[in-house]
Amino acid sequence: MNPVFDYHALAPELVLSGAIVVVLVADLLFPDREGLQTSRLASLGILVALVPVLTLAIDGADRSLFGGGFVVDDYAIALKAFFLLVAYVTVLVSADYVGEGDYYKGEFYFLLMSSVLGMLAMTSARDLISIFVALELISIPTFVLAGWRKHDTKSNEAAIKYYLIGVLSSAVMLYGMSLIYGLSGGKVLLADIGKFAAAGDAPPLFAVAIFLTLVGFAFKVSAVPFHFWAPDTYEGSPTPVTAFLSVASKAGGFVAILSIIYFGFFEADESWQPVLWALAAASMTVGNLTALRQTNIVRMLAYSSVAQGGFILVPLAVAQDAPRASFEAVVIYLFIYGAMNLGAFAVVIAVARRTRSGEIESYAGLGQTAPVLGILMSAFLLSLAGIPPLAGWFAKFVMFRAVFEAGGAGAVTLGVIAAVNSVIAFFYYAGVARRIWFEDPAAELAGPARVPAALTVALAMSAAVVLVIGVYPQLFARVGELAVPL
Amino acid sequence: MIAQNIAFWIIAVVMAAAAVRVVTSRNLVHAALFLITVLIGASAQFIILLAEFVGVTQFFLYVGAVAVLFLFGIIVTRAPMQPADYDNDQRWPALAVSLLLLGVLVALLIDAFGHQEIELSDDLLAIGRSDAVGNSLFRTFVVPFEVVSMLLLAALIGAVAIARRD
Amino acid sequence: MALNQFLILSAFLFCTGVYGVLARRNGVLVLMSVELMLNAVNINLVAFSAFVRDVGGQIFALFVITIAAAEVGVGLAIVLLIYRNLDSPDLDRVDQLKG
Repeated sequence: MNPVFDYHALAPELVLSGAIVVVLVADLLFPDREGLQTSRLASLGILVALVPVLTLAIDGADRSLFGGGFVVDDYAIALKAFFLLVAYVTVLVSADYVGEGDYYKGEFYFLLMSSVLGMLAMTSARDLISIFVALELISIPTFVLAGWRKHDTKSNEAAIKYYLIGVLSSAVMLYGMSLIYGLSGGKVLLADIGKFAAAGDAPPLFAVAIFLTLVGFAFKVSAVPFHFWAPDTYEGSPTPVTAFLSVASKAGGFVAILSIIYFGFFEADESWQPVLWALAAASMTVGNLTALRQTNIVRMLAYSSVAQGGFILVPLAVAQDAPRASFEAVVIYLFIYGAMNLGAFAVVIAVARRTRSGEIESYAGLGQTAPVLGILMSAFLLSLAGIPPLAGWFAKFVMFRAVFEAGGAGAVTLGVIAAVNSVIAFFYYAGVARRIWFEDPAAELAGPARVPAALTVALAMSAAVVLVIGVYPQLFARVGELAVPL
Repeated sequence: MIAQNIAFWIIAVVMAAAAVRVVTSRNLVHAALFLITVLIGASAQFIILLAEFVGVTQFFLYVGAVAVLFLFGIIVTRAPMQPADYDNDQRWPALAVSLLLLGVLVALLIDAFGHQEIELSDDLLAIGRSDAVGNSLFRTFVVPFEVVSMLLLAALIGAVAIARRD
Repeated sequence: MALNQFLILSAFLFCTGVYGVLARRNGVLVLMSVELMLNAVNINLVAFSAFVRDVGGQIFALFVITIAAAEVGVGLAIVLLIYRNLDSPDLDRVDQLKG
């Protein structure tokens, strides 16, 4: 009995794997040849991998392979599309940064795409082994990418800190998973673990196992108090890698949490709900309060992404009482967060090309010297703050909707904390915008800014998403509704 | 059963002692050698549990590859061969945290699996044989298997790219 | 044989690893402590696999072993890089950025 292979279900991963090999070989055969830049090849490969995602979406049927360990449903398809789009934009913002430095270009895109392959696998992973393996494929290439500026000791430090935290969090997560495997009577499929959790006769050790697993994931999504590596790693890494880490790799961690909570631990809510509640509240508060004090734009965005991670955890923390609304909220928030954060980092890269500085001071007067960049940066920051009519308000809206649907004292308290934090966050986002428009530029930066074509496309894409979703959220809300697998 | 039990306890005591030395040794090379002792011990425990394939893989991969990598890393970074202080100033809090964790885990493990026994018999041997492992690996877990192949390639290329002198 | 004798050995190794991660400041030694924790995971998985008579745990352990090897390779490459730039693999010396 030969296993029946559904190649269509595996097509996005297969196409991307093919593209990865092509990039690697092309870089070997044609080093630095004009007209065949690896960045173009990489972005083309990622776009081609989107084709089978589209055909799967049109086909619409849920596919379950290998005994249920690999599932392609609307949730998986939506997030596969998200990760591929994020990867495409990341390649665009990397193109000139990597092309102008003395970096290994082919290897850079190879590692980036390998990490994206891990994300695609993560969206479909429905057993502990697949989740673990996909998480490692997401992480290991990014350890190396964080240290890609080899002669910069800050980049070295970013890499070693990220690496040690990464392997430590995997070990903690695995210990939790090994206990879950034993307690559930030898089950690795999330569906089987879900049945065990629903039976409700698990010993207290099960709660500890869930706790350890979630601690491992909390490191990956840099939730407070497991966030301390994030600002250093984000500041030291090459900025395009930081953009990738703060959006894609973080979203990878959230997809893992989403899958493992919804398909596995769901009924054991007294074990995970308090943990996620505390992580959400702490991440929002600590992230925002620390972001207020930052003078470096990348560190500010790092703490802001810790806080945004907290906002994404809010619906998860009330998931038991509002399953559908929470799932929708997480997926929608991830999409919008991806667009606005990538956009903000694209502006940071564009500005740093001219000022060679990551300090917030260097944004003074950007509105006069480079009005378009100034407008875009203000738009992305105000979107992150949740100001209508930019997409961020819709992300916050679906989050609060999930909280209100859940009701209950715990959910409402968390909602109040989230509301207070939205106000705090407004101050530092608006603070940068104020410098852009109401302060005079440093004299030596009078000349016009030149933004390379690839970066322009990346900025345009992010800006378009942020504006269109912000003005017509109903177009996009459908994606969130469809993605709910319940 | 008694022979396996005696073997377990001897190996377990050696492993525990070696593990403690790994985290307290003041000499890098000694720490690596104690780590190898733990790794070999784990491999022996897998054989006792009749998981032959995993036991052998543990031996080859960990003792053959990982341990050698560690020693290689120690050599190329020219770590001092004489004892040095490798601990930070958090030794006592660290000890408190790990002892607390150990206490909680042991109490809960006894609560959850108090009197459960592992029966070592021929059917268990069949589960751990390479044909059974291979069947499961390539039928049920073929996607993670392929993902790991890409992961190893990425790790290899990444390590070369970053460690290369240029 | 009692299941718990394996699980408690594993818990001991795990906690020893946690101590090492918290108390060591040399990158290679921290990595060794993480390896102790991963071995604890493997002992758990194989013991449970024998207890419930299911091969899944052994497969899981095989994946853990393989990926641990890949992680160590990448980690030592990073340590080597730092050694070259700073002339020291000590974590304390790598401290320009303060979180």
